Amino acid sequence: MRVQRFRSIEDMSRAPARRPTISDFERFLRHCARYWALAPKTYPRGVFRFRSIEDAQKARARH
Amino acid sequence: MDRDEIIRVLRAFEAARLEYVLIGAGAMGFHGLVRATEDLDLFIRATPENVERLRDAFRSAYDGDPHVDEISSADLLGEYPAIRYYPPTGDLYFDVITRLGDAARFETVDAEIKEVEGARVRVATPAALYKLKKATVRAIDHQDAAALRERFNLRDED
Repeated sequence: MRVQRFRSIEDMSRAPARRPTISDFERFLRHCARYWALAPKTYPRGVFRFRSIEDAQKARARH
Repeated sequence: MDRDEIIRVLRAFEAARLEYVLIGAGAMGFHGLVRATEDLDLFIRATPENVERLRDAFRSAYDGDPHVDEISSADLLGEYPAIRYYPPTGDLYFDVITRLGDAARFETVDAEIKEVEGARVRVATPAALYKLKKATVRAIDHQDAAALRERFNLRDED
C-alpha cells in the first residue's frame, strides 16, 4: 500500500510505520548521508587531544 | 558521512584486531534508534598495543594519512583520555576515548557483536548506552537516554 489515508493527525500518529526493508545500521548510514548533503561542514584536519570528554564536547560545540 | 567510508573503517578495525566498543549515535543506529551524527565514538582498551592497532586501522582506512601518527598511547593512557581524529575525507570524525573519569572504560561497557556487510562490530548494549548517556550534561544525550529507556523498557537501575 503506497498511500495511506487518515481522518486525523492522531490516527496518523498511531499508525505503524512501514517496516523498513533495510537494516537499522543501514538506515542510520543513509540518514547521516542525507544530513550531510543538507548541511555540509568543513572540519580541520588531524588529531586533537582532550583532558576530559567535557572538553571534547565543548570543542565540538564550536564547529 | 559516506556510508562506504564507515564500512571501510569498521572493516579496518576488525582487520587490525582493535579492541573497541562503539558507543554514541552509531551504536544507537545498530539498535534501531536512528539519528544523524557527524562522528563515530568509541571506547578502546587502554594499552599501548591497542593504540597501535588503532593507528594501523586508521592508516589502512585512510591511505597512510600521516596525521594518524599524532595519535599517541602516552596521551591516551595518560593525561588525554579523549582524542578526536579528523580524517582527510573531511565529512566525519572519530572520538576515541580510553576512560570517562572513573565512570567508564572499555572493560566496564557491556557490548554485543553486530554485523554489517560482513564486518563484525562490537557495539555497546542499550543498557550500557543508557548508563553512559544519562550521566552526561548534553541535551542530546538526555534525549538519547529517554529514547533508549522507552524503546528497551530500561529503568534507572539499568
